[in-house]
Amino acid sequence: MFFHYIDLSWRSFKRTPLITLLMVVAIAIGIGVTMMSLSVYHMMSMDPMPHKSDKVHPVQLNTRDDGSDWWSKDDLPQQITYQDAVNLYRADIPAIKTPSYRTGYSLHLGDDNIKPFIESVRVTGLPFFQIFDIEFVEGQPWTQQQENNAEMVTVISRALSERLFGKESGLGQQVYYDQHLFRIIGIFDNFDHHIKYYDLTNGDFSKHEHAFIPFSLTEPLKINNWGNTNGWKFQEIRTFEDKLQSEQHWVQFWVQLDNKEQYQDYHGFLNNYLIEQEAKGRFEREEPAFAMRNLTEWLDYNDVVTEDNRVLVAMSFMFLSVCLANILGLLLGKFLKRVPEIGVRRALGASKRDVFAQHIVEVSMLGVFGGILGVGLAQLGLWGVRATYSYYSELATMDLTMFFSAPIIAMTACILAGLFPAYLVCKTNPAICLKTQ
Amino acid sequence: MLEIKPIIHSLVRSKAGAVLLILQIAITLAIVSNSLSIIKDRLEYLNKDTGYPEKDVFYITTNVFAVDTELLYLIEETEKTLRGMDGVVNASYMSDVPLSGSGSASSFGNKPMDQDEEKGYLSARTGQSNAGSQVFDTLGLVLKEGRLFNETEVLKIDGARELPQKVVVTQDYINEVYPEGNGVGQFIYIGNTPVEIIGVVERAMGAWPSDEAALNYSIFPYVGASTSQKFVVRAASGMRETVMKEVEDILLAQFNERVIMNVQGFDDAKKEYQASDILMLRMLVILIALLVSITALGIFGMTVFNINKRTKQIGTRRALGARKADIVRYFLVENSILCIAGMTLGAIGAIYLGQILFEHYSVPAFSKAYIVYTAVFILSVSILSVLFPANKAANISPSIATRSV
Repeated sequence: MFFHYIDLSWRSFKRTPLITLLMVVAIAIGIGVTMMSLSVYHMMSMDPMPHKSDKVHPVQLNTRDDGSDWWSKDDLPQQITYQDAVNLYRADIPAIKTPSYRTGYSLHLGDDNIKPFIESVRVTGLPFFQIFDIEFVEGQPWTQQQENNAEMVTVISRALSERLFGKESGLGQQVYYDQHLFRIIGIFDNFDHHIKYYDLTNGDFSKHEHAFIPFSLTEPLKINNWGNTNGWKFQEIRTFEDKLQSEQHWVQFWVQLDNKEQYQDYHGFLNNYLIEQEAKGRFEREEPAFAMRNLTEWLDYNDVVTEDNRVLVAMSFMFLSVCLANILGLLLGKFLKRVPEIGVRRALGASKRDVFAQHIVEVSMLGVFGGILGVGLAQLGLWGVRATYSYYSELATMDLTMFFSAPIIAMTACILAGLFPAYLVCKTNPAICLKTQ
Repeated sequence: MLEIKPIIHSLVRSKAGAVLLILQIAITLAIVSNSLSIIKDRLEYLNKDTGYPEKDVFYITTNVFAVDTELLYLIEETEKTLRGMDGVVNASYMSDVPLSGSGSASSFGNKPMDQDEEKGYLSARTGQSNAGSQVFDTLGLVLKEGRLFNETEVLKIDGARELPQKVVVTQDYINEVYPEGNGVGQFIYIGNTPVEIIGVVERAMGAWPSDEAALNYSIFPYVGASTSQKFVVRAASGMRETVMKEVEDILLAQFNERVIMNVQGFDDAKKEYQASDILMLRMLVILIALLVSITALGIFGMTVFNINKRTKQIGTRRALGARKADIVRYFLVENSILCIAGMTLGAIGAIYLGQILFEHYSVPAFSKAYIVYTAVFILSVSILSVLFPANKAANISPSIATRSV
């Protein structure tokens, strides 16, 4: 019967091509607009590490006086001070933990073969590679020993290695970061996630760093951070040493806690740490304030999905509903006009259910056509976004989930729109229809 | 004369179609009027005057990697090289570049920090940058009061930081700390250290155009030695493209142990910073255009169907003496009734949607005037989309009515 219904629908489309086209275009535009904003939303709200996002936590400490406010929802700064970072990193407590911040250098090889260029460089501890599952293609991260000795070693991405050394392996080679000579001891696979989830302070979708160096080099090399530095009280900072001892927040701190006990222990540890620090007179607070969100909560807290995008998603669904109302009206007219024909079918023995099924098949077909055309329109729109706005180039794409959900959403929408007209059609009494003929 | 009563009767008889059209018009009105309100807000923000001749100015970032360089000397030489280029009007060192989205800001008050609880203490946040004396000419800033600093007043520091003693600020900022207008010659305080306000410029935007205090800006006469150095350059009108193309080679020829990057025009920097707003604007415009056309199509389709359904009735009316104009009027009035009903509902929806958006998102308060504009627009579009099928209906021959059933 199903194929017979498809045949009937096809005939019906051919009988009223203009109206059919109108409906398909309406659903296509509705789906196109909705899928476009939904795709961007989907890419923005994606969990970057689904297997462990509940175990990875950024540490936020409020080492400010009571009453100093901050832009975040709970007045907690997103970064911590250098002294806290060092203390937490050294603390003897079972947890995989690391400080991290961004800097940058002019990279060159000390000869004329490659024109020097600027790269962002991440300064971090060895556990960073474990927490964020960074895979090495060649070599490995620096050892704890090397980090403790503040050795001039670095790991770089495959892309950077290719840029510096071409096809030749970069492993074991030397590279200048400004005037400092570093030895490359590991090459990692390029990041493939579009959200820069380990550092949201300089653009949530900014490019990932291609080079890492040990955190212990901060003091000997007097590394200045590239990124936000936020103070809350006036301190005269003239030298690099002043900055390290200051109350300025500029270091991110991550901790991975594998189970509940570890989480509780670490929670208690942070509480005690803050009480201790307050006792030293660094700040005045009634209650220690800190947070250890998990990764998904963290993305949410930092508004990675922009407001504009939420507004657009809401508006496009309203837009889709307008398209549906439109189709509903057209279907109503179309189906009711066909009542006499239905009367004949009913009189010849078709049950209400058969008639209903026939009409649902017809609207589903509309949905499929509209959905396919809609995906095309959405792709066109996304292409437009990518072409005009390079920052969005990774986001304005449709992944497979979205690609396949488009026709399904379109079909569901069409069936919803078709339910009422189909119901009206099969409710009509066959006798009356026959009589009027 | 308008036959409202029979029209309403006939609408009530086929409720579903009418209700759908009303709903469609209502949602369209709600979305379009709110989008217009957001669009207007964004346009105002995007077109806000920055105070700079954006099309003539660009900036460069240089990063020096040479060991033991006389950084201060290099800055001076770089400025000279830039000024010597063909087509360059002026150039200056700046520690932070306006409109670029990266910079620094602090709150300075009109009294020392330790007197911040006293009466009359005012403080405001301002974007800030250190710069040489040629910065004003380079950025095309207009002096309003007092004077600008000259090259001898610029502190040139290699080593531990020191505090500048003078500053030139914008009108917007001085209005906040010295609202009585007597600010020139007075002081703002960095902590407890006084800094003399020697001049006020009319308008200069800071690093972040979206900041609510974007026009609070302070320029200190100070050049600090650092390996990362930024310069702003103003080219003669129409020469900027050429200068920007040549600048990297010329600077590297002057001194090659550095990287030249971010050669970017002020207008492009601003556009890049505002890219997401521009994107939102475009999306909304497209959304509105599509929405209105879909609604128009819907009205068109419904009318066509109504006419097909009522061919016989129309023929009968024509046979009974109705003129063509009467038939057209019938559909126009019917459409207007639906529109008015839809708009009443839509107006309520628009206000409600405006409130939700205002409460949950940082969109401006919704002005009801947009409902009126949108309503007028939708009504005209709907009339246009009824006219064609209605005219077709008017041409139905009276003889149709007399044909066999």
